Amino acid sequence: MSINDATAAVSEELAARQDMIVCRGVDKYYGDFQALKGVTATVKEREVVVVLGPSGSGKSTWIRCINRLEVHQGGDIVVDGVELTNDLRNIERIRSEVGMVFQQFNLFPHLSVLDNITLAPIWVRRKAKAEAEEQAMALLERVGIPEQAAKYPGQLSGGQQQRVAIARALAMEPRVMLFDEPTSALDPEMIKEVLDVMKELAQSGMTMMVVTHEMGFAREVADRLIFMEGGEIVEVGTPEHFFNNPTEDRTKLFLSQIL
Amino acid sequence: MAELETSRPTPLSLGPDQVDVDYAGEREAGPPIQPEVPPGQWLRENLFGSVTNGVVTVVSVLFALWAARGLLNFVFSEERQWAAVRTNLRLLFTQAYPESQYVRVWVSLGLLVALAGVSAGLWARWGGVPLGRVARWALAAGAGIALGVVLREPGARFDEEGEPLLDAANQVVRQSFGQAMADRTLWWVAAVVLLAVGLAVWFGVREHRRSVYVPVTVLVGTALGLAVGSLWVVPYGHYGFANGEFLAEPGRTVVLSTKVPWTVMFVLLVGTTYLGRWVRSMDWQSRVGPLVNIGWVLSPFVTYWVILRDPALDYGYVARVDLPLFVAFAGLGGLVLWALTSPGIGESGRVIAVGLLLLALLHWVAGFAGWYPMLQKVRISFLVVALFALAAPNFAGGASKRRRFLAGWVLTIGLLHYVITMINTPSTVVTPSDTFLGGFSVTLFVAVMTLMLSFPLGVLLALARTSRLPIFRVLSTVYIEVLRGVPLITILIFFSVMVNLFLPGGMSMAELAAVVVGFTLFSAAYLAENVRGGLQAVGRGQYEAADAVGLTNVQRTAFVVLPQALRVSIPPLVGQTIATFKETSLLAIIGIFDFLRIANSVIPSQTEFLGVKREGLLVVSAVYWIFSFTMSKYSQRIERRLGLGER
Repeated sequence: MSINDATAAVSEELAARQDMIVCRGVDKYYGDFQALKGVTATVKEREVVVVLGPSGSGKSTWIRCINRLEVHQGGDIVVDGVELTNDLRNIERIRSEVGMVFQQFNLFPHLSVLDNITLAPIWVRRKAKAEAEEQAMALLERVGIPEQAAKYPGQLSGGQQQRVAIARALAMEPRVMLFDEPTSALDPEMIKEVLDVMKELAQSGMTMMVVTHEMGFAREVADRLIFMEGGEIVEVGTPEHFFNNPTEDRTKLFLSQIL
Repeated sequence: MAELETSRPTPLSLGPDQVDVDYAGEREAGPPIQPEVPPGQWLRENLFGSVTNGVVTVVSVLFALWAARGLLNFVFSEERQWAAVRTNLRLLFTQAYPESQYVRVWVSLGLLVALAGVSAGLWARWGGVPLGRVARWALAAGAGIALGVVLREPGARFDEEGEPLLDAANQVVRQSFGQAMADRTLWWVAAVVLLAVGLAVWFGVREHRRSVYVPVTVLVGTALGLAVGSLWVVPYGHYGFANGEFLAEPGRTVVLSTKVPWTVMFVLLVGTTYLGRWVRSMDWQSRVGPLVNIGWVLSPFVTYWVILRDPALDYGYVARVDLPLFVAFAGLGGLVLWALTSPGIGESGRVIAVGLLLLALLHWVAGFAGWYPMLQKVRISFLVVALFALAAPNFAGGASKRRRFLAGWVLTIGLLHYVITMINTPSTVVTPSDTFLGGFSVTLFVAVMTLMLSFPLGVLLALARTSRLPIFRVLSTVYIEVLRGVPLITILIFFSVMVNLFLPGGMSMAELAAVVVGFTLFSAAYLAENVRGGLQAVGRGQYEAADAVGLTNVQRTAFVVLPQALRVSIPPLVGQTIATFKETSLLAIIGIFDFLRIANSVIPSQTEFLGVKREGLLVVSAVYWIFSFTMSKYSQRIERRLGLGER
């Protein structure tokens, strides 16, 4: 099933936007096991796409292929007009255009919060230190924890760490943000603070691809939902379509288990 | 994640920008205070909990007492000739260094002491020791002395000529127990004073003893001050050789030429510590700190080749050859590097760098094959230019970054040329033997140089071994496994004897330098394995996060992976450092007059002390132990600081 059809179904306006991420028939193997089976999808500029699916459905693998943390074996991935190949320069260029937020935060424990955020702008974007720090403070302000700048990741709560991770990704001024289950490792009371930051980011017009189990977030923020199972895209649609009258049986089964 | 929120100590505490805190605010991170257990109950619970437990306790204590008695009888036996050590202290530490030039040794030591003092004042936050623990130390020391005095067998009785009396069975006739105790009055006084001080402190501050902290600096300062002060008061005796004659004057204090320098050292240490403190209080750490660090790096070279050897520089040659060479390399090399760091250079920069590397290697091949003559210094410089050129793309970009890269280049090439010039310049200090330095100073020199060189090499080897590129992995693995499979002594003999046979005509290597190279290659293989352990402890998520923000492989390694890996490997790295330090005693076997060899071969061959070995070996062991134990304690402190033990 083609995503572009569904996009058309969402709105003419969305279909008219520029393509940000284009995947065509992406295959991924771990040895003999095929993790992705011909995944084809397009994410438009300023669009928020939420990827749903049971564990093992390949949704994390897919999102990690998009900035080459995993190498795909078949098909094409084009990000912002640049195709992902083995060319190192293309990979570095895409990685500096694509921000990624991990389930386990993956902050650098030996660096202070401020240094975590400024490391890449200084060394990849070649910014001056003062400028990078000013920007980092503005980002910490945006995610609501400017007072934690001098602390180390180990001294922060999970929710605070994940917000620092978002600020670190934003510091590279990415065109796309990828979220790989950003709230799955958090205690319930901290999930909201992270989701609030993500909502604000979506409203600011960031292109986002989010793997999550937070149905409330999906319903409220997503432009489109993609449901995956067994390494394939099963169903694509708007939140209204998804939560009110999904067409596929597997989608219905999944939603009945999770809601 | 909740456990991460509990009080893990800040890794920042070594950082420069931390506010100065009161000692009491910075005590050691320890477990929370537990309620005191009465001693009787503690004994019942821990030592005599069951019949077996009690038997084991009694047997172990008896064994420990027996061993202590044996050691005491050995050390304090009337057969011991401690005069052999007393007379040869200078020999043990500096071998044949001429008396007339001895001020150079003191200046070198003074330089190190001053650096140590400033560093301590600038950075050391040693915190404090609870007063209760100080009291316990005093009590333990007093009790230990009293026990030792009782344990040691009664001394021999002497005849009128000072020879021990022998009985019919040729055994030494000993004093009665009471007489022996009476003879040891001074020891008793020391024990009683220590016990009294300990008890007074213990009970005097009973209520507050856990909250009153004595700064470690005060404790160390007091101990050193007492030691130095005792030189002026305590009759250690004066022993030595004067015009080849053995001279022994017991019952007086040591000579002025010993007392005065040590007093100056002590004053210098205290003064520079306060200087460092003052700099810290003025918030000038960020400016003075790097200078002190550069001073430390330079200190082995400066002390060894400038102060101790006093180079006889040929200034004409320096002006004609050395300086122009430096200017040429700094200037032309700088221009090339400036061009290579320009932002638009792209791939062609790497091509030029590889070209430079091939050119540099060609000079070496030519040197070995004897095609054309070239100064070794020039060969080395070409190689360093090529290495900088290879690293240049990482510093491409803004003008400030390029300028800093060039400054690093000029500094490196300057230091390199300086060191090579100094090595090649003969010394004005004439020593009676062919070896210039010996004893403990050569041990220390080899250990410091080995560690300074083998750390970078070890890290590179570890990175190569974990690299994704098979050629690096294979080469590094082969190197490490071969070096670790060969006995160190074999490597040392190879380097001390055979290296010069393999070098082409015109190249040669001093024995000491060759030995340092051998030590370095061996030690690096072990360090590499320790660092590799640390590298494996860095999680995959860290690599992914660094990749995801777009860092290059080199940046990821330098800023994310290595800092974490080295932190984890501190305990094994310190273990390796201690091992390397102790392994320098193998120098004795390959014929270098190191600390051990002086004690084992040189002193026992003096006519006055023919065959007197044990005293010297005891002192050598004690000195090695003091250094190793200090390193071990210091690493424990660093570990606690970094919170490793609490993960």
